[in-house]
Amino acid sequence: MEILSFFEWLDTSFLATISKAYGGTFAVIQMFHLLGLAVMGGMVLLSDLRLLGIVMRDVPSEIVVENTNRWFTIALIVLIATGIFMSSAVALKLYYNEMFWGKMIGLLIGVLFVYFIKRPLLSQDHSTLKPSTIRSVAITSIIIWFSVAASGRWIGFS
Amino acid sequence: MLNEWLLSLAEWLDATSWSTSIHESYYLYAWIESTHVLTITIFLGMLFIIDFRMLGLAFRKVPADVIADRLDKPMMIGFSVMIITGLLLYYAIPVRTTQSIWFRMKVILLIAAAINAFTFRTKMRQSVETWSTQPVAPKRIRNGAAFSLAFWAGVVMTGRAIAYDWFDCHKDLSSFMYWAAGCVYELESHSSGGA
Repeated sequence: MEILSFFEWLDTSFLATISKAYGGTFAVIQMFHLLGLAVMGGMVLLSDLRLLGIVMRDVPSEIVVENTNRWFTIALIVLIATGIFMSSAVALKLYYNEMFWGKMIGLLIGVLFVYFIKRPLLSQDHSTLKPSTIRSVAITSIIIWFSVAASGRWIGFS
Repeated sequence: MLNEWLLSLAEWLDATSWSTSIHESYYLYAWIESTHVLTITIFLGMLFIIDFRMLGLAFRKVPADVIADRLDKPMMIGFSVMIITGLLLYYAIPVRTTQSIWFRMKVILLIAAAINAFTFRTKMRQSVETWSTQPVAPKRIRNGAAFSLAFWAGVVMTGRAIAYDWFDCHKDLSSFMYWAAGCVYELESHSSGGA
């Protein structure tokens, strides 16, 4: 019940008022959400494909991970900020949308995974880690973020 | 005229049975569109990283030609998937898409992005050895990277806007908008009604 009242509040908040008064606002924010997706997806893929030894094999994986980390965080902030705005516009519809909750759970798992498992683990010299550990971290990361992005697209279809 | 020709091509495609099949198949259309959207992470993701490197915003210590060369293949794989799924999306809804002002802007931006990419590549290949290890590329290369980011961001934004019906032909629009969107029939009745 408390979650529902939060969504009811969001539905009447000033963010929702803006997007309901100006239909174009939602579309423009959504465009930036997509650009954020391009940057974040690019960073996830580059870092994980490097960890799997598929791309940029001649650049140390520590360097690739370090460079993609910063842009991942920037993109994540853009995605969450634009995402909150988009959610407020259709708050009650989302509350009853299973795909939306699937995405939110995936997002929570993804954030916890990146900041509490992936980054602390990869902050050490990669040669000291077991190759199988590095591979499982990379595959887990790709699966989580692909699910989050795909379920996000599917909110619109469901 | 171009508008009439494009519309008759779209109407011809629309009459083919496969076009109707994709359009009416809920899951097939949704799958193609989701693939189209998610592939921007591969195509634009790699392209943005190359542009960021030229602008000195990422991978400053890795030679620019290494980034551009190693990411070229995944980028082109992503690009191929985007083109194939994009053509299928057009083929599924040809008439409305042809008459979408946003789709038309997207195509123009795509052409601009392609011309920019071609000149950018040529300029880069000619001189990359002299500045590859510097953290930031020379100004003319940075301009190319900035245009690349702007054009592709425009492609994404106009592409997303195709889904909205604000300027669809059935709306009450000005003659200019009817012409720009290619609303051939509406433009005819609009001008005859006004005369």
